[in-house]
Amino acid sequence: MTVVRVDDDRRLALCADETGARHTVETALVEPVSAGDRILVHAGTAIAALAPDQSDERTATA
Amino acid sequence: MKYVDEYRDADLGRALSGEILSLVEPGRHYKFMEVCGGHTHSIYKYGVDDLLPANVELVHGPGCPVCVIPMGRVDDGIALAHEEGVIFTCFGDMMRVPGSEGSLLEANAAGADIRMVYSPLDALRIAKQNPDREVVFFAIGFETTAPSTALTLKRARAEGVPNFSVMCSHVTIVPPLRALLESPDLRLDGFVGPGHVATVVGARPFEFIPADYGKPIVVAGFEPLDILHAITMILRQLNENRCEVENQYSRVVPYEGNQRALEVMAEVFELRPHFEWRGLGFISHSGLKLSEAYADLDAEKRFSVPGVRVADPKACQCGEVLKGVIKPWECKVFGTACTPERPIGTCMVSSEGACAAYYNYGRFAREREVV
Repeated sequence: MTVVRVDDDRRLALCADETGARHTVETALVEPVSAGDRILVHAGTAIAALAPDQSDERTATA
Repeated sequence: MKYVDEYRDADLGRALSGEILSLVEPGRHYKFMEVCGGHTHSIYKYGVDDLLPANVELVHGPGCPVCVIPMGRVDDGIALAHEEGVIFTCFGDMMRVPGSEGSLLEANAAGADIRMVYSPLDALRIAKQNPDREVVFFAIGFETTAPSTALTLKRARAEGVPNFSVMCSHVTIVPPLRALLESPDLRLDGFVGPGHVATVVGARPFEFIPADYGKPIVVAGFEPLDILHAITMILRQLNENRCEVENQYSRVVPYEGNQRALEVMAEVFELRPHFEWRGLGFISHSGLKLSEAYADLDAEKRFSVPGVRVADPKACQCGEVLKGVIKPWECKVFGTACTPERPIGTCMVSSEGACAAYYNYGRFAREREVV
């Protein structure tokens, strides 16, 4: 999903999935996030953030 | 779309398929288990198995969250849903899982207030909107989903929502894998590791597979090229006499996992001494319950839960399917008495279940012709 807007106080983000549908997502596990970031969401919680230029070869430390 | 299109490219798929053909030893039969139900779904949705040589067999593992929930646990959920004043919430797949006397969907039709949610956060919102009702969330899933439940419990505590509780049926992936590896009726050559569980726990917890059992494992993503790529990596390990944990899905899986998720899980959950799995029986230290610090939010303590053990229906062979001993279409009731519309077994319920994947993508017809 793509982050649309972040509510830092509540640690939630409004996100859009690939169809454009909006979802409220917990961001506590991948903070900090900002509008435009791509995140992997499972059951309403972001469990990983994807860097824009991330590739398979990169040893993921993010 | 970034992260999607490049992993579904047909030319690259054909190239990987050719590479797999060049890596296999003619005359040798390879049996790899894809642990996660998400992989099973992708394999049949995209026809990945059709791109493999005849001597490379994919066996479906126990990593479908809905499929491993035993009937007794569904009965417990239904009993809770019938409690006075309770709104029972669960994921959509869970609604159709049969208990011994029907499913949550049927209990809903019979008058219980059962609502489908997409996340535990939705269940918490329902609790805040209905302060005069008790809202119970039926938490299922592996380590991928457990952090979401844990964060919601912390949020319920922080925001002071007294009418919210959780019936925790979360499970962990390593104990059933160990049980499968100890099983004498299954011979495997390697594993396609669960990518999204590994996003949370990392790749390190799977090191016991090469270390203790001498089998390679490659943690993989869920697009068709991810799975094909993982199979080439397993074959290379076998050909080079290597045996280790490799991470094909490094675009989201850190080798050490998501430390914040692990910390919140350690705070909110503790291991049950044992937990019953559908078809696999009781497995020690394989289920999670709420820790003492969160015991007041534990629905099983707040309400009386029957906790009875119910044997699986005799006709259903989900246990053998979950262990990879038989293919879904080899089950006696597959596609006849057991269909996605009227499932007998859990593997036919969830889109991640091997039986539903075979059935929905029409793969069983061809298999039956072969038989």
